Amino acid sequence: MKKFLRHPVVDTAIKALSRNRLQTVLTMLGIAVGVATVLAMMAVGAGAQRSIEQQVRAAGLNQITIRAGNWRPKVTESDEAVAHQGDARESLRHPLDRLNDDVLPIAFHPEDDPMEKHDHPTARQRLGDLEAGLGSAATMTFDDAEALRQLPGVQYVAGGIHENVRVHLTDPAARSGQDKRWFTRMHGTDVMMPSIKRAWAFASGRFFTEREQDRGAQVVVLGQVVADKLFGAGATPVGREVMLWNQAFEVIGVVTSATWVVQPAAGDDQFDAVYMPYTTTQRLLNLSKLNDITVTAESSGDISRLSREITKLLRVRHGIGDNEADDFTLITQATKALTTGGLPPSVARAVASNVTELEKVTLEQLALTMERASRTMTWLLAAVAAVSLLVGGIGIMNITLLSVTERTREIGLRMAVGARGKDVMRQFLFEAVVISAAGGLAGILVGVLASIGIARMLQWATVVSPLSVALAFGIATAVGVFFGWYPARRASKLDPIVALRRD
Amino acid sequence: MIGVHDLAKQYHVGDHVVHALKGVSMAVAAAEFVTIVGPSGSGKSTFMHILGCLDRPTTGRYVLNGRDVSTLPPDELARVRNETIGFVFQGFNLLARTSALENVELPLLYTRQGVVKASERRDRAMQALEAVGLTDRAEHHPNQLSGGQQQRVAIARALVTQPALLLADEPTGNLDSATSHEVMEIFARLSRDRGITIVVITHERDIAAYGTRTVDFKDGLIVSDKTNDARVPAQVG
Ligand SMILES: Nc1ncnc2c1ncn2[C@@H]1O[C@H](COP(=O)(O)OP(=O)(O)OP(=O)(O)O)[C@@H](O)[C@H]1O
Ligand SMILES: [Mg+2]
Repeated sequence: MKKFLRHPVVDTAIKALSRNRLQTVLTMLGIAVGVATVLAMMAVGAGAQRSIEQQVRAAGLNQITIRAGNWRPKVTESDEAVAHQGDARESLRHPLDRLNDDVLPIAFHPEDDPMEKHDHPTARQRLGDLEAGLGSAATMTFDDAEALRQLPGVQYVAGGIHENVRVHLTDPAARSGQDKRWFTRMHGTDVMMPSIKRAWAFASGRFFTEREQDRGAQVVVLGQVVADKLFGAGATPVGREVMLWNQAFEVIGVVTSATWVVQPAAGDDQFDAVYMPYTTTQRLLNLSKLNDITVTAESSGDISRLSREITKLLRVRHGIGDNEADDFTLITQATKALTTGGLPPSVARAVASNVTELEKVTLEQLALTMERASRTMTWLLAAVAAVSLLVGGIGIMNITLLSVTERTREIGLRMAVGARGKDVMRQFLFEAVVISAAGGLAGILVGVLASIGIARMLQWATVVSPLSVALAFGIATAVGVFFGWYPARRASKLDPIVALRRD
Repeated sequence: MIGVHDLAKQYHVGDHVVHALKGVSMAVAAAEFVTIVGPSGSGKSTFMHILGCLDRPTTGRYVLNGRDVSTLPPDELARVRNETIGFVFQGFNLLARTSALENVELPLLYTRQGVVKASERRDRAMQALEAVGLTDRAEHHPNQLSGGQQQRVAIARALVTQPALLLADEPTGNLDSATSHEVMEIFARLSRDRGITIVVITHERDIAAYGTRTVDFKDGLIVSDKTNDARVPAQVG
């Protein structure tokens, strides 16, 4: 640093700039305002982007769930106009229809059917648990999940198997009389799940690892509700053992809600639930399929396109002919909102299954509008930044021209003792860049403070990334080079004699 | 050392042409001390600027150290100025707010090898200041020095790259008679002891007498060129 400051070019620049100290500082101020605006612009833009993404993700707006099986409302004569799924469904009528006359399964996998006679011992026989294996529908495989992972625009993919289970605190066979148990949901899922469930927090412990998933380890993550019911509120169950399907599982973590908006509640399917690697479920229940696959999109505006791609891919993978119905159902936040939005289930299903692009006019549209709003804000700030940088740049050009005029004799003398045009050019360019870079540093300071201020006062999320700081500094330096170029060039083209004669 | 052949320089001022030099030919041998005299506007400075590679002739040839420099590109001329020529001006042309030492170091920032190392710069500048007897004023700024001292700093600056040719355009023009003789003594000594070729322009006859040879300019031409057989000793008045 000391060596740098003693370099003649630097030394000359410092002397020259301190000669017009006030002008130099005022010019730096102009650049600082521009750079601060650039930084605040990027901070607001990135912050808005992030909060939109967060809202969208928390709402599951970028999430698609592909559920095995395809259930449709029973079609009567008057409904014929609504449904146009093709004739395949009639031939695919399933015996389950007799149980539930409202719904009509269109495609069904034998393994889904609790009434089906299996040629191998069922899970409930093998494990000695009457409920094991009940209600698991599966037409999708791990390979399907892997194939979906390859689609462009896909962020995370997690396969899942879901069951109702009874979790015991102690071995029910011991009949100690101390047993506590809790009837809840079991999710056999993927290590990716915490990335998808962005509103999750770990009260203690962790989620299972890739290794545990590969081994099909008997580890379990308890939802907050389950942990409280079994171990009592405030206890730390990590490291303890629980029994599922008469099998011992090690508790490795407790998951709870990350926001106060969502409170863990009994029966919520999320925190009143237990999680284990899907491989463990498959191993214990002797299943080879998945109940559903959850896919998140990198961009929430991409949901419609991705839904179409997924449908196309799975139809091909499942060998479904042109006139046959899907053997799976795509559920997006939009269809979910409809089915839980107070509509009678049969109506909701009818709408959701027929207006496949529904989310386009609702939530996706909202996400796009929000993205557009933040983009407008960013462009507005960009315009302000551009104008102030332009003004600052003209200031630099002005002070450098002034400096060249004031020091014409000095330039002539330097040339007379051997300085070339490029030496003179370098000197003045450097001085212009010193002003703009110093202004840039001041601007970065102000910009960071302003971003923090905006976040505090306007409750507007701002993100100052190292990249944006580097970019702001780069822009400042570039402004110095750009606007210093002309005066420096002019100085370098001076004729030594003319310059020496100038007074 | 120097050979000029039929050197002419024209300036275009508005519609008409000013013939500053109208065909000057002369040769200067190495270690010669030439003084140039002549009335105002006779083309002395114009000639000197061409000799100093600060300007190029309109027509004619200028051979310096056996090399034709009249058609060199600007960067090459800058190199010749830096390595071969030292220039002393009437108005000193020292950088204000800059110490004598740093002023003397200036040419060392522009050598072809780049900027000379700080310590070496300092050593060489001190040697140059020693040659003009100003080592005790090294840290003084120009406004803390007398006119004669300032001109000696300027001479030290011209000497610091150890040039073969030293050019001075009315170096005593801004000095009183006594100081003028001091400065001329320095030139005479440099010519005698170091064998530097020196060309000095002056208006005063007694100053011109320091040269081994005096050339007279008039209307852009050389009208007389004679050797001063016996050097006139300095008459300090
Ligand atoms: N840049 C220029 N543009 C136009 N005319 C010029 C220029 N420089 C010199 N001249 C003219 O050229 C002629 C010679 O000028 P020069 O400076 O060489 O004279 P000089 O002998 O050095 O005079 P002095 O003794 O007064 O310094 C003069 O008539 C002058 O007006
Ligand atoms: Mg002159």
